[in-house]
Amino acid sequence: MGLMWKACPWIVLLGTLGCSDFVEVDPPKNTLVAQRVFDDPSTVESALANLYFSLREDGMVSGNSGFTTLLGIYADELDYYAFNGDFVQLYRHTVTPQNAVLLGWWTQGYQVIYAANDIIAGLEASEGLSAMEVERYKGQALFVRAYVHSLLVGVFGDVPYITTTDYVVNTNTSRLETALVYEAIVADLEQAVALMDGADIPVGDRVVPDADVARALLARMALYTQQWELAAATAGELIAAFPLEPDLDRVFLKESGETIWQFKPGNDLSNTQEANQLVIQFIPGQRFALTPSLLDAFEVGDGRLERWTDEISDADGTLTLSYAHKYKALFNETASLEHSIVFRLAEQYLIRAEARAQLGNLDGARQDLNAVRNRAGLGDVNLVGQTELLEAIYQERRVELFAEQGLRWMDLKRTGRATEVMAPLKANWEDTHVLLPIPESELEINPNLLPQNPGY
Amino acid sequence: MQLITIRMRRASLFVLLYALLMPFCTFYMQAGTFLEPPQATVSGTVTDSAGEPLAGVNLVVESKDIGTMSGLDGSFSITAGPSDVLVFSMVGFKTLTVPIAGREEVSVIMEEDVTVLGEVVLNAGYYTVSERERTGNIATIKAEMMEKQPVGNPLAAMQGQLSGVNIVQNTGVPGGGFTIDIRGRNFINGASDPLFIVDGVPISSQSLGSNDVSGQILGGNTSPLNAINPNDIESIEVLKDADATAIYGSRGANGVVLITTKKGRVGETRFNAQMSSSLGRVTNFLELLNTQQYLELRREGVVNDGFGDFLENPAFDFAWPDIKTWDNDRYTDWQEELIGGTAYRNNLQLSVSGGSERTQFLISGSYLKETTVFPGDANYKKANVNSNLSHRSDNGRFKINLSTLYTREDNLMPRSDLTSVAYTLEPNAPEIYDDEGNLNWEDNTFDNPFAALEERFGQASQTLISNALLSYALWPDLEVRTSLGYNRYQLDSYRTLPSSAVNPGRGLTPQTYSSLTLNTADRESWIVEPQISWNPTWNTFDVEVLLGTTFQKETAQQFVQRGTGYPNDLLIQNLAAASTVEVLGDTDSEYAYTAVFGRVNVNFLDRYILNLTGRRDGSSRFGPGRQFGNFGAVGLAWLFSEEKPFANSSWLSFGKLRGSYGTTGSDNIGDYRFLDTYDVTGFDYNGISILEPTGIFNPLFGWESNTKLEVGLELGFFRDRLRLETSFFRNRSSNQLIGIPLAATTGFSELTGNFDATVENTGVEVDLNAMMFQGKDFGWSTRFTLTVPENKLIAFDGLEDSTFADRYIIGEPLTIVRLYESLGVDPETGIYQFEDFNGDGEITSLGDREWLEDLAPEFYGGFGQNIRWGNLGLDFFFQFKKQKAYNELRAFSVPGARRNLPIRLLDRWQEPGDEATVQLASAGLAPGEDTGALQSRSNAAVSDASFIRLRNITLNYRVPNLGDRLDINVYLQGQNLWTITDYTGPDPEQPSTVRLPQLRQLTLGLQLGF
Repeated sequence: MGLMWKACPWIVLLGTLGCSDFVEVDPPKNTLVAQRVFDDPSTVESALANLYFSLREDGMVSGNSGFTTLLGIYADELDYYAFNGDFVQLYRHTVTPQNAVLLGWWTQGYQVIYAANDIIAGLEASEGLSAMEVERYKGQALFVRAYVHSLLVGVFGDVPYITTTDYVVNTNTSRLETALVYEAIVADLEQAVALMDGADIPVGDRVVPDADVARALLARMALYTQQWELAAATAGELIAAFPLEPDLDRVFLKESGETIWQFKPGNDLSNTQEANQLVIQFIPGQRFALTPSLLDAFEVGDGRLERWTDEISDADGTLTLSYAHKYKALFNETASLEHSIVFRLAEQYLIRAEARAQLGNLDGARQDLNAVRNRAGLGDVNLVGQTELLEAIYQERRVELFAEQGLRWMDLKRTGRATEVMAPLKANWEDTHVLLPIPESELEINPNLLPQNPGY
Repeated sequence: MQLITIRMRRASLFVLLYALLMPFCTFYMQAGTFLEPPQATVSGTVTDSAGEPLAGVNLVVESKDIGTMSGLDGSFSITAGPSDVLVFSMVGFKTLTVPIAGREEVSVIMEEDVTVLGEVVLNAGYYTVSERERTGNIATIKAEMMEKQPVGNPLAAMQGQLSGVNIVQNTGVPGGGFTIDIRGRNFINGASDPLFIVDGVPISSQSLGSNDVSGQILGGNTSPLNAINPNDIESIEVLKDADATAIYGSRGANGVVLITTKKGRVGETRFNAQMSSSLGRVTNFLELLNTQQYLELRREGVVNDGFGDFLENPAFDFAWPDIKTWDNDRYTDWQEELIGGTAYRNNLQLSVSGGSERTQFLISGSYLKETTVFPGDANYKKANVNSNLSHRSDNGRFKINLSTLYTREDNLMPRSDLTSVAYTLEPNAPEIYDDEGNLNWEDNTFDNPFAALEERFGQASQTLISNALLSYALWPDLEVRTSLGYNRYQLDSYRTLPSSAVNPGRGLTPQTYSSLTLNTADRESWIVEPQISWNPTWNTFDVEVLLGTTFQKETAQQFVQRGTGYPNDLLIQNLAAASTVEVLGDTDSEYAYTAVFGRVNVNFLDRYILNLTGRRDGSSRFGPGRQFGNFGAVGLAWLFSEEKPFANSSWLSFGKLRGSYGTTGSDNIGDYRFLDTYDVTGFDYNGISILEPTGIFNPLFGWESNTKLEVGLELGFFRDRLRLETSFFRNRSSNQLIGIPLAATTGFSELTGNFDATVENTGVEVDLNAMMFQGKDFGWSTRFTLTVPENKLIAFDGLEDSTFADRYIIGEPLTIVRLYESLGVDPETGIYQFEDFNGDGEITSLGDREWLEDLAPEFYGGFGQNIRWGNLGLDFFFQFKKQKAYNELRAFSVPGARRNLPIRLLDRWQEPGDEATVQLASAGLAPGEDTGALQSRSNAAVSDASFIRLRNITLNYRVPNLGDRLDINVYLQGQNLWTITDYTGPDPEQPSTVRLPQLRQLTLGLQLGF
């Protein structure tokens, strides 16, 4: 047995042979260790590109379940003819907290917010970047964070405002009151504008956010929160900087002068998802058609009815449907003609018109409103009453901004007209439908999000 | 390097020390007997009945405490008196008592022990152990059991045969994968896959398939074990308890499966050929609605949804073409059309083997071609070469064994499984082809399922497993050896989506739609395991000591790309013809693993056995400071049948009580999980390639640990003709590495970390083997296995507040599902009713999913009979399992939508007062609560899926009187021929409505040897 003891050094020997160096491996080529991402401008830009890409691909803005179509059918813009169960719920106002679209909006939204926060945190700790670069990138990330929160608060009401990457904090987070969410959005945007102002950001075909893009959202948020002066001033800066595209046919082309921010499509030949979803090529086969009430809203002679909508009939002519035709290039197009536009100048004119009307500057309001009307081939309005003028602006928003990111639905909500407009159209309408339910599985995971929105 | 040289020097010092010490030991022994005259040196050789020298035979002079061992050439020499008696003993051989009777030279031939126990030597991985003396739980299946089954994957041949091993085939599509668990599910997250080792080389069971390519046909899973031809396997050993698995340390938690391939044998060169052909059909079809029943439900559904008026308005015909525009009298049995074909399998294997006493070889090649039950020319081909060479030097000190296995598989399949289409396609769906032979789209109202056949999935894989085992005996009882292994797995797969397979109404062209997705992946690993073993014997003590170390490295690469936009569909296979090429993934990973391990086995008096094993492991999957872990086990066995009361028992021939306790671990969590990283996604935005955060990182996680306890009783009766083994086990897995679900507000759905949760698997296993009758012309043996497992979550700190609160319950199995309690259909409203557990007036998933069902098997096992009568042999094997599973209601529980359904959904409510099992029809157009979805998530969607299945039956005829060398066998085999079950879904074994059920196969085969 003595030899057994002699063997003990062997164990030690073999143990040291199996040394710890052997189990150190290099990271794989498809990943970068996080700290290194923020030491080089090109990798930071890659991380930022992820934000824009995610917003374009799947989520609330663009993509297959974006606001354009789904808030369109939830509100009074579009009729839904297909049978996706989650979409049908939205169309018929029978939404349940299990609706997969809502879960998608929620999870994808917060995923982008995490990515933005991680960039902000990474930049703060970075050592390899100049102060200018840090400011500009941080401005872009702050803008994205504010933008996604603005979409979430728009449909869900009170939502958590996430500003950290700490999962312990975020997994138990609570909902913030709607007004405070907007306050946080405005604060982030003001900071983003300050950080990016004057920076030389290579925006290409206006596909990367800069200070003006942050301003465009700031003006919209100011309008939604009734900060009229801020809205008028911010929109004014943009109106001074961008021209209104005079030709209706060119407004949605990728070169359009009035575009403030648009998404670069997947490859050089691609066009927009909006065209592929909204344009009806065959009946049967229709999915989204314009509602009769929207078609009725166009005044006689409105160029937009002719240029921005079209209609199609089935083979024996028994069924004719109208569809949104702002974006025209389908996926069998062989060149990239159109990009998905997120912000364009016409909205800013209407924001300033409304803000001015609220501030009592009725002349200025009429001027802005008429700029948009004239482009559509309509004459000036000469209304003198503030209320009538505001009504005219709401009407103008409806026909100018139809089928664009659910702006119509947001207007109905913020102006308190949702019940008045929706009740006659949707048999299942309830006042509580101004908010959609928080996804149920999220309430299960984080009970701090309780209670559910009323009515669900 | 210098260090190593020093250590090497030290190593030779030990060897020297041993060499010097040993003679002294013998000298002392000699000295002790010096005074007893007259003594002489007796020498001789020990051989087995085949004349092979036997090394390591224990030799004792009876009545004296003198002993020695035979050398490598079988020779021995010992000092004894002329009237002494020599006792020769060795595992697997009958003990021999030989009187010296004055001779100086004694040569003996030892006979192999006829009892099963002595014969069976088990491969325990780093060492071998006899069935009789093992302290651990090792189940084994030998070649003769596997040869009887016409299957393509060794796992298929093991199904039901081994206690404690639960194997389920994922799909009936050839080339698919298997789910295997040994003694239950240990970990809340993570794979239950055991460690697979083929001839000493660890094989990763993870597929390299890309979900983008194979997701819809094979479920993304391709089993790398498909590369191993079951006919090339000599034995498979499954290590189950701590005693057997602890030497595999961190990789042993889920058990270890050791596969040993066949080797050449001493003797004349033999040729062997085996040919077989099989016919296969799907085991079971569902009973579905016919056209008349279907349309009745459809119309009812549309009317119930409030669209009755629209039904008569032609403007809305487009919404329900099956009711309005398609032929209402047409009927097609789509199961027959889509999965009703006959699959052919042809297999040819040729082998040649033989060898001299010092060198043996075996070379075997096989080819297999298998078609599918789908229409079209889909097929799976496999070619395989297995070779083995062993050699030992003249003096028997040096031995080398080389084994190499190479397999090429070609799988050409439709890109998606047609099974779910076969179950759901409308029974009055139109013609598949129009008059010109083109796919019929029925004016764009019909998504033609045969279009999927134009979308191809192809996969070519190559596997190389090579092992060299070199050993050198420094002394008869001291051996140094090294095992060297190399494994390479290469996979190329593609999927094509031509525009011709899409409804032309969508206006797609090759330029805008057609695409080719390619996946190129390979995985390479090498392993080096130097070992030293020392097996001294002192009198009544037999000791085995093993010490070894492991270095293993594995690298994997995967490259997935997609080309879109082709000038025409004919060029779709050529990526160069695509107008756009995207890289979907370009990943690599590296895994490094190192360990030192050891074993000490002490056998006292041939009846008390102690086995100690241990391992220290390091793995690159953990962050700095957390890479190493220690594992070990102790095993004990008491052969009580050797004790006095039983020594000469006429009925009890063998009795052993054994137990073991120890810890193992698991690092089966994927590579690099401790790093905070950004991934290159392969996409770009505005020309800038995209980096996305990989996930929330946690650098602090460590090994999962698994503590195993086992007690076993083994009995042999009537000279071991009846053998019974029962074991009880209790495995506890803690420090669980869990992807803790996170609220989406964190940006991710989970975080990996060690959770203070413990999962317990307990169970009883029974193995019974009986040689009912054993005669020259007639033999009958029977075997039976039974496993009664139980899984329980016994601790989970903070479960109530955790994100698992909704899924698991302490004291219940991990395999439970929480369901609504269905109360049937309200006779007044015709709507499904559910128990409102929390009494809030609403049925919500938060408070009302309180009905629990456990979907793990309650017990499982098999029983087989082997009958031999003259030249005829009959072998059959039944597999049984008691379990519950989701039934067809899980997929759909409300009739009336545009899909076919099982006939039981015809029993729907129609008017107030109806007592029906199914709620009123709905076309899915009505708003309101989706009670159908609740029903699908209720206890009504779970039913008994127990079964007894005639897994295999073989009738073999050995053609007699053909001379010495010629040996011909003809056999007829049936696989899955008969199933007894109450289950109403397609297959109780794999209760899925989207994957092809297992096939029933009939095989005719011929085996020829000369």
